[in-house]
Amino acid sequence: MSPSVCLQEMIRVIRGARTQGEERGVIQRECAAIRAQFRQADSGGRSHNLAKLLYVHMLGYPAHFGQMECVRLIASSKYSEKRIGYLGAMMLLDEKQDASLLITNSIKNDLSHSSQHVQSLALCTLACMGSAEMCRDLAPEIERLLKASNSYIKKKAALCAVHIVRKIPELGEMFTPSSFLIVLNSDTLYLHYLSHSVPELVQIMKNLVTSGYSPEHNVAGISDPFLQVRILRLLRILGRNNDAASDAMNDLLAQVATNTDSSKTAGSAVLYETVLTIMDIRSESGLRVLAVNILGRFLLNNDRNIRYISMTSLQKIVQTDHTAVQRHRGTIVDCLKDQDASVKRRALELSLALVSAANIRSMMKELLLFLSTCPPELRSHAASGIFNAAERYAPSQRWHIDTILHVLVTAGGDVRDETVPNLIQLITAASELHCYTVHKLYRALISDIVQQSLVQVACWCIGEYGDLLLKGECEEITPMQVTEDDVLDALETVLQSHMSTPTSRGFALTAIMKLSTRITNNVDRIRSVVSIYGSCIDVELQQRAVEYNALFKKYDHMRYFTMSYCTVILEFGCRSRLSLYFNIHDLLLMHILDNLLLFSYSQ
Amino acid sequence: MMRFLLLFSRQGKLRLQKWFLPMTEREKKKIIRDMTTMVLARKPRTCNFLHWRDLKIVYKRYASLYFCCGLEDQDNELLALEVLHRYVELLDKYFGSVCELDIIFNFEKAYFILDEFLMGGEIQETSKQSIAKSIEASDMLQETMEEYMSKPAF
Repeated sequence: MSPSVCLQEMIRVIRGARTQGEERGVIQRECAAIRAQFRQADSGGRSHNLAKLLYVHMLGYPAHFGQMECVRLIASSKYSEKRIGYLGAMMLLDEKQDASLLITNSIKNDLSHSSQHVQSLALCTLACMGSAEMCRDLAPEIERLLKASNSYIKKKAALCAVHIVRKIPELGEMFTPSSFLIVLNSDTLYLHYLSHSVPELVQIMKNLVTSGYSPEHNVAGISDPFLQVRILRLLRILGRNNDAASDAMNDLLAQVATNTDSSKTAGSAVLYETVLTIMDIRSESGLRVLAVNILGRFLLNNDRNIRYISMTSLQKIVQTDHTAVQRHRGTIVDCLKDQDASVKRRALELSLALVSAANIRSMMKELLLFLSTCPPELRSHAASGIFNAAERYAPSQRWHIDTILHVLVTAGGDVRDETVPNLIQLITAASELHCYTVHKLYRALISDIVQQSLVQVACWCIGEYGDLLLKGECEEITPMQVTEDDVLDALETVLQSHMSTPTSRGFALTAIMKLSTRITNNVDRIRSVVSIYGSCIDVELQQRAVEYNALFKKYDHMRYFTMSYCTVILEFGCRSRLSLYFNIHDLLLMHILDNLLLFSYSQ
Repeated sequence: MMRFLLLFSRQGKLRLQKWFLPMTEREKKKIIRDMTTMVLARKPRTCNFLHWRDLKIVYKRYASLYFCCGLEDQDNELLALEVLHRYVELLDKYFGSVCELDIIFNFEKAYFILDEFLMGGEIQETSKQSIAKSIEASDMLQETMEEYMSKPAF
């Protein structure tokens, strides 16, 4: 391909390549031609060649051999070559390349060029990729340009100065604070210089808000929203931790908040920034309530972007302005049903933060409903949030247990591991509810054994309080006749099901063993189950079964004691104290007790 | 400030990349990969904001091109949507009913327009007419006729 082919032709050829390999071939040939051209220092199509190289670079191919060409083009006297050269510098050079230092001198010369467009090229490049050394060298030039009368150059020099100050904060003092433009962009440097200028900023802002229609700055009816947002941001920085400044801007913020039309995004952007500013400065409470109300209005907006950002903002202030945010709880809870996954996530976070003792029952209803329909990636977060809320604000133990059971049934696969021992502890502590709990868990177990955490808790409970289950009477729940065979059937189903994990099987086996002391008729059945599992493939299960077998055979007199209520162990707290009390030195017994403790309190 | 601005097609091909903070080539490539995967995976009627590492990502789809920018924590996302829209308006005014092919074949001009609108990650100029005037003046300075290829007359 001829090296003088223009940029557009090359792009057309590359796009015409049908496979990746063909494209690579074309590009390799082109790059070779370009490299040859660079070496020749041919002054004809230099800018074309660099432009071609930049296109190739954007496709992801290496282009480092063009760096020196960029340096050469920048030093050229032709504007077209300078323009491409600077673009190349911004794309190919960064502060880590050595070649970037070589352009410092060219930039310096161009900063004093007669044409403002050349100056602007140099300023733009410096602001984009200027390294610390380059900035240090050229800072005096920038300072000089800041004082220039040409507003086009002044504005660019100001942004360049911002870049310099970000790179080398110590040079901040060099740039005089008289220029508003700098402060509009840099964050913390000029606070004490400019706090006296808050009234001036307020005035500018007022003019913007109340001024007439200016077509070139207008966006959807808002005059220059970009500038408005900038000024608000600056006011936010100035008003932070500064009472005097905050007072001076109070009226303005109220005016902007009430008068800005938020039907289009531009107006909403300005309102949003106003709200952020009000929240950050030392504003009076009336203004804060106004801000929260604006956020509440945003929640009802049709545009989901606005709903999303309003929830992000509410999340930030929910700790400090809790009561104000509570007023919008209804709307927030409605957003749990939104179609958008990001909005749902935000609504979940916010709802969990808004749960309190007063609204726990209604909130929990909504949260449980959400749990059954929420996307899978949010389930575990929702489940753990619900557990925390239930733990902190449960109005009664029965409600607490019901809630946890509901979560286990709906999302048992997504809960954390310590849920099972926590729930067991909770059940043990609620002694008057043992009957109710065991009945409920039994019913859950016979309907479905997929959710492993539920299965484990149910097995433990049945093993522990099986006698209450068999007695059949329970005030708080409709009575159901349960025979010993039914219970053993249920537990054996868990043992044999391929859906049960080894841990669940362990729970089921121990439960069966415990029932041997609580039932009267089917002890033989239990004995046979236990002996079958003595040859189980699973080592844990086999070990347990062998030990329980031993209990039946050799230590039958101990069986009642070891398998009786766990509360005994709870009361005594630890194995060693227990041994002291009962004077037990039997190693096998210790081993069995170990297992019991392991099951009851997991790691 | 804006950290970066990317334009890519629906097939994930990059059409423009502007970095406002120095980064290594590896980091740039990683960001481009992450952005294209994340944004292209979004369903049609979801919100335009994402969270990625410590940045807020704002994206908007115009015809076959995705405009994607990365903002810092303090920045206003709604305003970023307006910034992207303003850039599209500027391109539209310059090229006359701009389409993706214009940006592919005249990518350097797209960069020049961007450099008049944003600098150092901040907005430089809020008046559409001022920007159009400076671009026109710069174009006039280009000496050779070859550079005027396919540029519409002002």
